[in-house]
Amino acid sequence: MSDFHDHYPNYEVMSNHDEEHGKKARRTLWNVFWVMLAITIFELVVGFMAPSKGWSGTWWLKTLFISLTVVKAAAIVLWFMHLGHEKKVFKYTILMPYIVFMFYLIFIVLTEGTYSGKGGRLAKIDPIFVEQQKALANGHHGGGEAGEHHEAAGEEAHH
Amino acid sequence: MAHTAEIDAKEAWSGGQSPFRLSYGKMFMWFFLVSDALTFGGLLVSYGFIRHKYAEVWPKAEHVFTHFPFVEQHIPLAYVGLMTFILIMSSVTMVLAVEAGHRMDKKGVILWMFWTIVGGAAFVGSQAWEWYHFIVGTDAGALRNVWDPATGAYVKQIWHGANMITNEYGVPQFANYFFFITGFHGTHVFSGVVLNLVIFLNVIKGTYERRGHYEMVEKVGLYWHFVDLVWVFVFTFFYLL
Repeated sequence: MSDFHDHYPNYEVMSNHDEEHGKKARRTLWNVFWVMLAITIFELVVGFMAPSKGWSGTWWLKTLFISLTVVKAAAIVLWFMHLGHEKKVFKYTILMPYIVFMFYLIFIVLTEGTYSGKGGRLAKIDPIFVEQQKALANGHHGGGEAGEHHEAAGEEAHH
Repeated sequence: MAHTAEIDAKEAWSGGQSPFRLSYGKMFMWFFLVSDALTFGGLLVSYGFIRHKYAEVWPKAEHVFTHFPFVEQHIPLAYVGLMTFILIMSSVTMVLAVEAGHRMDKKGVILWMFWTIVGGAAFVGSQAWEWYHFIVGTDAGALRNVWDPATGAYVKQIWHGANMITNEYGVPQFANYFFFITGFHGTHVFSGVVLNLVIFLNVIKGTYERRGHYEMVEKVGLYWHFVDLVWVFVFTFFYLL
């Protein structure tokens, strides 16, 4: 180590924990894991039920899934990646640029995105496929199992 | 952290020390992850854009990803649920390896890093399986206009599976985004497994025991959690919504 680095944080002193501290840390980590697992199972169950209940594509289901995803992401970043333990100034250094850029990008897509729908959107799509999608709405499907698709297709027709 | 005395802001930024109270290695791993996260963010936003554009002809995930190993019936979402479980689990074993490193518990680090590598390899394997079924497709297939370069015309035929131009599931962009985003993520998982393996061998050799700390485990751990973090979003946008 050069002289310059002498005042740099000493990793051994900063991060080495005793057994007592470790026990507490492990308990927290496992709790985070169980919460994340519960959220994932909940998402899968709802996702599995969605087509038959007619929830597919509803705004509240989308909102629910995206919020649960953000909750899981926050759990990973704060506890698994220990960002919650870092200095406040570092937290903002990492999170702020990302949040600002992503909100900007999402804002642009939401406000300018409808422009893409103009001018023969489906013109370059295989016409057979477009026909199949219309048939699907009337209760037919090209391949795969039948029963579930009929219900899903029935839902489609309502929109 | 709590172990070092608090320094006031003016002194912290006057040079000669880390104002973030972090080593440069960990700090730059974070900066790298932010830039990588922006790449994935951009990809997922563009995915949302194209999906919105072709909303009424975009296939539903529960019709496409229905396979499960050794099971004849079609179970939507089950396989990807298993993959998600494997990845979250390997994230937990990784953070437990980091925690063992904080206590200089070499055996603990070896044990938990081993399971992390196993989990990572299992995930890459699962993704290969998923890709295989996506590319090969169903027996029934679907009728498509397929471009024939020999005659220079479209030929009507039953098409099975997917490539970058034609697929039986929906618009070509669906397969393109599936290949690109899950492929890009899979590449990250693969390199994460390789990095974990390198650090794992160093741990066994006792490199970090001699060095007095297991910070390298923490750095690869950050990368590994990031891979899990990205999957959480890919899982939502490709399979749930």
